[in-house]
Amino acid sequence: MTILGEIALWIALPVALWGTVLSFVGGRSGRSELVLSGERTVYVLTLLILLASLGIIAAFVGNRYEYSYVANYSNRELDTYFKVAGLWAGQRGSLVFWTLLLSVFSTIAVFINRARNREFMPYVSGTLLGILAFLIVVLLFADVSPFERMGFTPENGRGLNPQLQNPWMTIHPPTLYLGFTAFAVPFAFAISALLSGRLDSRWIAITRRWILLSWFFLTIGIIFGMRWAYEELGWGGYWFWDPVENASLLPWLTATAFLHSIQIQENRGMLKVWNMALVVITFLLTLFATFLTRSGLIESVHSFAENLTIAYIFLGFMGALAAFSLLLIVHRLPLLRSENQIQSFLSRESAFLFNNLLLIGVTFAVAWGTLFPLITEGFFGETINVGPPFYNRVNIPIGLILLALMGIGPVIAWRRASPRNLRRNFVVPLLAGAVTLALLLLTGVRHTMALTTFAISAFVMAIVVREFWKGTKARARIAGEGPFNALRSLVRRNRRRWGGYVVHAGVVVVFTGLAGAAFDEIVEQELAPGEAMTIRSAFGNEYRLVYESLSHSRPRVAENVAENDWRWTALMTVYRNGERVDIVRPERRIYPVMEQQSTEVGIVTTAFEDLYVIPKEVDLNSGEDRVLFEAKALPLVPWIWCGGLVVAIGAIVGLWPAGTVPVRATVRRKARGPLPAGAVG
Amino acid sequence: MTALIGGILLAAGVMLYVLEPVFSGRGAPVYAGEDDYDEGAARRRVALTALRDLEYDRMTGKLDGKDYELLKGELSRDALRQLGPGPEEGGSDPGVDRASRQLEEEIAQLRDALREGLQCARCEHVNRGGARFCGHCGKALGSPPDLAEGAAATAAAGGMPVDGPGR
Repeated sequence: MTILGEIALWIALPVALWGTVLSFVGGRSGRSELVLSGERTVYVLTLLILLASLGIIAAFVGNRYEYSYVANYSNRELDTYFKVAGLWAGQRGSLVFWTLLLSVFSTIAVFINRARNREFMPYVSGTLLGILAFLIVVLLFADVSPFERMGFTPENGRGLNPQLQNPWMTIHPPTLYLGFTAFAVPFAFAISALLSGRLDSRWIAITRRWILLSWFFLTIGIIFGMRWAYEELGWGGYWFWDPVENASLLPWLTATAFLHSIQIQENRGMLKVWNMALVVITFLLTLFATFLTRSGLIESVHSFAENLTIAYIFLGFMGALAAFSLLLIVHRLPLLRSENQIQSFLSRESAFLFNNLLLIGVTFAVAWGTLFPLITEGFFGETINVGPPFYNRVNIPIGLILLALMGIGPVIAWRRASPRNLRRNFVVPLLAGAVTLALLLLTGVRHTMALTTFAISAFVMAIVVREFWKGTKARARIAGEGPFNALRSLVRRNRRRWGGYVVHAGVVVVFTGLAGAAFDEIVEQELAPGEAMTIRSAFGNEYRLVYESLSHSRPRVAENVAENDWRWTALMTVYRNGERVDIVRPERRIYPVMEQQSTEVGIVTTAFEDLYVIPKEVDLNSGEDRVLFEAKALPLVPWIWCGGLVVAIGAIVGLWPAGTVPVRATVRRKARGPLPAGAVG
Repeated sequence: MTALIGGILLAAGVMLYVLEPVFSGRGAPVYAGEDDYDEGAARRRVALTALRDLEYDRMTGKLDGKDYELLKGELSRDALRQLGPGPEEGGSDPGVDRASRQLEEEIAQLRDALREGLQCARCEHVNRGGARFCGHCGKALGSPPDLAEGAAATAAAGGMPVDGPGR
């Protein structure tokens, strides 16, 4: 199976090259048989890459340690579950996996458009095949083949990095990769629009769903990653401005900007060049994120120093794509002229534009911070890392303005807003914000940034809730429907708008959760069995943790083979305000094969806060089972995951197929036909 | 050995499938089809959606009478320009035209509601169908708000009636 997979990868190379050339030639000359042949190569490639991927998985599951990739990321004792995930555990497999997902999305894009949007399709398949061909060339010739064999077969593999032995690891990279690769489709359509000169809003209309789909996967991928960091890295945080975290955030930021600015193009025919630039930049950033992950280019928790050649190859490819896209955009500038102008500073257009500028500002700040170590090394021969303080100082204020814009944008009028319009829509939400602020001040909260976040959150939430409330009420009255049906038909009539509101509500909840970090409490204490420690959370709850015992387990012991891990598990009973609420089992693991240690934390979640217990050191020598524990009371952390879920639901509402919406006759509506077209306006 | 034979068979199958169109001359459509995306129809839909949202904004009180009439004048002018040839002659995508028709119906429905006095002229409360007095402030319903102003805006917008039939 593995050999067949390798052969499939070799067959894929000429197929991809052939398809790329054929699609472009077919599109240019209008020869339909070439176009069809080109599209068939897309389907065939998917099959071939799937075979290659299955080949790698088969090597993992079959413990084929003569393959250096398998030997480096697996060992006999590893759960099958993690062996399958070995496909994306390291750089080599990740590249194959990325290629697989891209080919699957390409197939879907080509298949659903087999009878539609035909004038775009040859260039779309050509572009997608070109990217696939590049990836296959890299896999085969850049010394990163996962099928590379060593001259001998080791007895056992080196094992999977302990930090990756976590259920989130099996789901976080695939979701993120789905987001990265799905964005290739809008990029291909944009290139196709530029090449064919059909530069009205149709390429956007065709790819709107793809963009949202990609954004959806990126969002949940990032949130899964935060959850993974929270559970697995064992320091009680979820975001460290790590280069690879940043790399996944960058395309998310530009994709978010793009989701907003395409609405201005659709409604007002403006920002055409800007949108083209954003789609190109976002796609380039997905490539950047892909190769940065595990490339070893920048030190990070994710990259386990591999060879650097690939980084330069990817950078070259990105540069070439950027130059090519730029040339195309410049060439088509006359067709990308704006149809309208912004009429007023106080309008939805300018709110969206401002949102775009801020998102790009954050993108630049994050990119600068991420690349700073490389830049300083290049110029001064010394690596200087910028830490979380830099990112927080720059990004928190911008983030708060963006948060406020999430409330302002949706209710401010298109074209120009009058002072009356502003009064009508903003007085109540501003009051909500002010009341929240006053209440928090009264309860003794003094942290400026947190107070600002909570007040703005209340303002935005008030706007979103009011929108839903008023819309439902109006719909109910007009159509004589009950509130539930009214809400449903309201959303069905404009999924993007109402889905967008749900996303905004979710982001507000996430921001509130993030601001909770201002009130973290930490207690560190060494305990012997039977002893206890207490910690008081910002919400005033007192937790008492009684350290009951320590157990040492050696799972899966096999003859003559080292275990995957040894575990020391502490048993702790948790009392909240004197009442027994839970038992946690924080754990320290040693991975003898990898010669590494890891921590499994204990978490007690309630609606408003998490209690987080880290076993920092286990005293193995004295025999007294003493453990140094760190307990953290983290307010509002559960809100981050909860808000993430709401964001995902909102995106699904926006993604849901529109279908046809039956127009119900109003109760009082007289028998009249639809409006004649001329009379509507 | 088995893998090698499998590989050869795979390569042969792939070649046959990919090259078949080139030899048989069978092709995929290259140009816009009958039911393809129609820019005109899409623009009509955008214009109508903007009008529809405007009606909702008025209904929910996001816009007051004055702003509503001003924006309606502008949006209607845009919509009329987009509607140019009209869906009967111009539009070729039945899906998009169906969407346009649905939007038109919805706009008519919303305007009926506004005109027939569902929404109170004084406090802008949206009342239940059939109500004769505002359930919020008690004012008699029925007299459409800002009628004269609306008509003036319409005339300024291009001399076409901005409202549905029967006004």
